[in-house]
Amino acid sequence: MNNNITGPQLDDELRWKAKILTVFVFVLFAVLLFRLMNMQIFKGSYYEGLSRNNRIRIVGISAPRGKILDRNQEVLADNRPAYNLMVMQGDISNIREVSKRLATYLDQDEDEIFEKIDQAKPRPYDPVTIARDISFHQMARVETEIFTLPGISIDATNERDYVFKDLASHTLGFLGEISKKELKKYNQDDYAIGDLIGKAGIEFTCEEKLRGVKGTRVFEVDALGRKIKVLDERPPVPGQDIMLTIDKRLQLIAKDSLRDRAGAVVAIVPDTGEILAMVSSPGYDPNMFLTPMAPEAWKQIIEDPLHPLENRAIRGQYPPGSVFKVGMVYAGLVSKTISPKETVFCPGEYTLGTSTYKCWKPTGHGEVDIMRAISESCDVYFYSLGEKLGIDQISQYASELGFGRPTGIEIRDELGGLVPTKEWKERRFGRPWQSGESIITAIGQGFTLVTPLQVAKSMSALVNGGKLYTPRILASGEANLEKVLDVSRADLDVIKMGLRMVVEGEHGTGRGIQDPMFSIGGKTGTAQVAKGYTSARADESDLPYKYRDHAWFFGFSPVDVPEILVVAVVEHGGHGGSIAAPVVNDVIKGYYFLKGMEDEQIRKDNG
Amino acid sequence: MSRYAKITDNIDWGLLITTFAIIFIGLLCLYSSARVTNPTIFYKQILWVLVGSFVMVLVFIVDYRMLMHSAWPLYAFVVVTLVLVLVIGREISGARRWLSLGPMGIQPSELAKIIVILWMGYWGETKKHIKGYGIRELVVPVFFMVVPVVLILAEPDLGTASIVAFIALIMFLLLGIKHSTLIISSIVFISVMPFAWLSLKEYQRLRILSFFDPSRDPLGSGYHAMQSKIAVGSGGFIGKGFLEGTQTQLRFLPEHHTDFIFSVVAEEWGFMGSALVIVLYLILITKIISMGTKAKDRFGSMLCFGIAGYFTLHIFINIAMAIGIFPVVGVPLPFISYGGSFMLMNLICIGLILNISWRRFIF
Repeated sequence: MNNNITGPQLDDELRWKAKILTVFVFVLFAVLLFRLMNMQIFKGSYYEGLSRNNRIRIVGISAPRGKILDRNQEVLADNRPAYNLMVMQGDISNIREVSKRLATYLDQDEDEIFEKIDQAKPRPYDPVTIARDISFHQMARVETEIFTLPGISIDATNERDYVFKDLASHTLGFLGEISKKELKKYNQDDYAIGDLIGKAGIEFTCEEKLRGVKGTRVFEVDALGRKIKVLDERPPVPGQDIMLTIDKRLQLIAKDSLRDRAGAVVAIVPDTGEILAMVSSPGYDPNMFLTPMAPEAWKQIIEDPLHPLENRAIRGQYPPGSVFKVGMVYAGLVSKTISPKETVFCPGEYTLGTSTYKCWKPTGHGEVDIMRAISESCDVYFYSLGEKLGIDQISQYASELGFGRPTGIEIRDELGGLVPTKEWKERRFGRPWQSGESIITAIGQGFTLVTPLQVAKSMSALVNGGKLYTPRILASGEANLEKVLDVSRADLDVIKMGLRMVVEGEHGTGRGIQDPMFSIGGKTGTAQVAKGYTSARADESDLPYKYRDHAWFFGFSPVDVPEILVVAVVEHGGHGGSIAAPVVNDVIKGYYFLKGMEDEQIRKDNG
Repeated sequence: MSRYAKITDNIDWGLLITTFAIIFIGLLCLYSSARVTNPTIFYKQILWVLVGSFVMVLVFIVDYRMLMHSAWPLYAFVVVTLVLVLVIGREISGARRWLSLGPMGIQPSELAKIIVILWMGYWGETKKHIKGYGIRELVVPVFFMVVPVVLILAEPDLGTASIVAFIALIMFLLLGIKHSTLIISSIVFISVMPFAWLSLKEYQRLRILSFFDPSRDPLGSGYHAMQSKIAVGSGGFIGKGFLEGTQTQLRFLPEHHTDFIFSVVAEEWGFMGSALVIVLYLILITKIISMGTKAKDRFGSMLCFGIAGYFTLHIFINIAMAIGIFPVVGVPLPFISYGGSFMLMNLICIGLILNISWRRFIF
C-alpha cells in the first residue's frame, strides 16, 4: 500500500494544522489576559477592600434531618430546636484564652475545646461546632459576652429527638459527632468537624437520605468578624423521612412483655419478611449520644454486664435449643430419612456406643411419632434422627433455612451465628467430628448458634408455604424472596400440625398459652448454657444467673394462614414454655387487639 | 567540528530557557506560599526539579522513534496501573487516584495523559490517510481511548478524565477526520445527550450540574473560588510584593501550593507578574507548535502538537479556575504547582520536544 504522505504535501498539511492550533491557543490565553486585566486593574480596589480583613464569610446552614417514622406514620425520631456554639477559627487571635473562657461558660474541658478550634486551622473560615445543644442558660451567658468574643457565634439549629427514648433504640441507632476517620472517608463538602453522623441502626443505614443537603449563607463581616450584611443565601434541603415497617404500639407491647429481662423479641410478617417489632433488652436512650458524654456515664454503659448497646435481635448468638428441632423435622422429611408414620420408642434415654443421652423426660415418652416428637419435644426421637442424618445433612438443611449467615436485614453489623460442619470442627479444634456431636446438634445443643432474627426468618419460611424472605425494616423496600424451599406441601402441613399441637396438644410443651379464642402454633426451646445444673423451678431462680438456661419460643398465628410470627428469647430465663411463650403470646394477642381497634375505626369511619 | 559541539549547537536553548524561567517563578511562589504552613515542600519541589531534569536528559538522549515502537507496551502499562489503582489505590475523600510506592504516591492518570498522545501519534503514523479518517478507521482507536477515560472516571476523577478525553479529541482532530464523519458524529453526540441525561440518577445529575455551576456548591469548592478571586483581584497592577500576599500567607486559601498557586503569582506580583507568566507560557507553546511543523516525521509532529495541547489545557483550566471563570476541578499548573509526578511528566514532555527538535538535523 502506498499511502505515505511526504514532502510538500505533508508540510502544507502540518503548517495549516499548526496555524489553527496557534490561533486556538492565542484565543484561550487572550481570554485569560482580558479577565485578569479586568480583575486586577479595573476592579483591583474592590477586591483589595475585600481582602484587607478577608471580609467575606460563607457558612453552612444545617439541613433538618429526615424523621424516622413507624408504619403508621408515628414519629420515632424527630427534630427539636436547639442552640449550638460555633467558632470561626480565623477570627480568633488567642485560641488558648478563648478556650479558657468558653470552658467556664460551658462547664467543659478547656483542652478539648482548644483542640477542636485548633483542628479547624486548615479551613479557618468554615465555622465549627464547639458545643452542641447548649442549655438556655449557657446560651444566655455566651450571648451577653458575644461582643468581646470575636469568632464565636450561636447557631439556632435542630437537634435529634428520639421521642420514645429506649423503645426501639437498637433499630433506630444513634447519631454521634463525626470522627476524623469518617471525615476523611466522606466528601469534604458534605460534612464539617462537629457535624453529627449516623453511627448505628437506621441512622447509619439511611444516613445519605436522612442527612439532606446543607444550605449556605454568604455574608460580609467587619474587622472583628461580626456580621454586617447577608450577600447571598441558599436554603438547605431537608433530609428525607424514612418509614419503617415497625409498628410502634406492637414494639411497646413486646418491650413491656419482656420487662427488664435480658433478651430479644422479633415480630415478623411471614409472608413478606416485614419486621413489625424488634426489641433488644436492655435498651438505652439514644438521646444521650448526641452530646459528648461524661466519661463515667460512658464507662457505666460499656461495662454493664448486660451490654445494653448490643442488638440481641441480630447480634445475640444463642444455642437454639429445641427450636432447632423444627429445622430437623424439615431435614428429616425432605431427605426422606423419616416419614410421618414411623415411630421411635423413647425409654427416657438414647444409647450410642458407650454413651447415653438423656431425654428431658426421664420416664420416657414411649412410642413417639413425628407429631408427638414436635409437640412434646421428645429428645430421643431427635437423637435418633440426628444419628441417621449425620452432621453433613444437618448442616446442609440448616444452611438452606438461612442459618449460619446474616439474614440481610438493613441494619449494620449483623452476625451470622454458626452452623457446625466437619471441616469447621477440624479447623477450629484440630479434632475430627464425633457422631455423638451430631446427636446433640439435632436437639439444638452443641456448637450451633443462631440469632433471634434468623429463627424468625427460617420459621417464617416453614409456615408460609416454603418461601424464604429476607427480613426487612424499611417500608420503602420490596419483599425479597431469596428462594423457595424444595419441600412438599404435605411435609409442610405435617410440620405445621406438629407446631399447632405444641400449643393445643394435651401434652404440648407450649400448652400454657393455649386459648380457645386464638389459633396459635409454635415451638418451645430451652437452651442449656451449662452442663449438670438442673432446677425444679420454671425460671430456675434457684440457680446462679449465668447457669440458667436460655428460654426460647417462636409462635405464629393464625396457624392456617399466618399473619404474624413472633420469636422471643429470654437470656437465662429458664424454660421456654413457661418463660418465653407468654412473651410471644402477649405480642400475638397485642397484634390482634391493635388490628381489632383498626377495624373498629374503619367501621366508624364508614358510618 | 567535534561531535560535542554539534550536539549543543542543535539544542533548542530558547525552549529550555523559557521552561526554567517558568520553573524559577514557580519556586519563588512555592517558597512564599508554603513558608508558613509547610516549608519542607519547597525543598521537595527543588528535588523533583532536579530529578525531573535528569529524566529529561535521559528522554532527550534516546531516539524518540523508539517510543513509537513501544507505544503498545506503554499503553498496556498505563491501563494496568489504572486498573490497579481501582483495586489497591489509596482512598482519599472517597476517590482512589493514588498508587503507593513506598513513601511516594503516583497518579497513573497523570501518565495516561502523555501515553494517550504517544499512542495516538503511533496510530497516526501506522495508518496514514491523506483525506482524513472515516468512521470505519476510527472505531478501533476510539475504543482504545475510551478504555483509560472510563477507568479514570471510575476512580472517580471527572476532571482528569475530561482532560484525557479532550487530549484524545485534539489528537483525532489534528490527525485529520473526514468532514462527513465529523458532522455525523457531532450530530449523533448531540442527539444522544438528552437520553444519556435522562438515564442518569438524580444525584448523578446534581453532581454534573454542580460541576458546571460552581455557585451551586459555594461552601466546598466555591469557598476556594471566592477566596482565589479575592487574592487575584487584590493583587492589583503591581502586586503586593514577594512574601506579602495576605490571602495566601494567611491561609485563607487552602491548596494554594497546588491547584491555586496562580493566585499566589497574581496576588504578589499583580497584573505584571501574571501577564509575564502567561506570555512565557505562550512563548513555550508556540515554540512547541512550530517544532511540530519542522519535525522530520509525522509521529514527531503529532507528539509536538499533542504536548502543546496538553500544556494549553492545563494552563487554561488552572488559571481560569483561579480567576473564577471555570469550575474548581483540581487541575495543576505546569512547572509551577507543587507535585512530583506532575513536574516529572512536564519535564519529560520538554525532553521529548528537545529530542524531536535535535533529531530533525540527523538524517
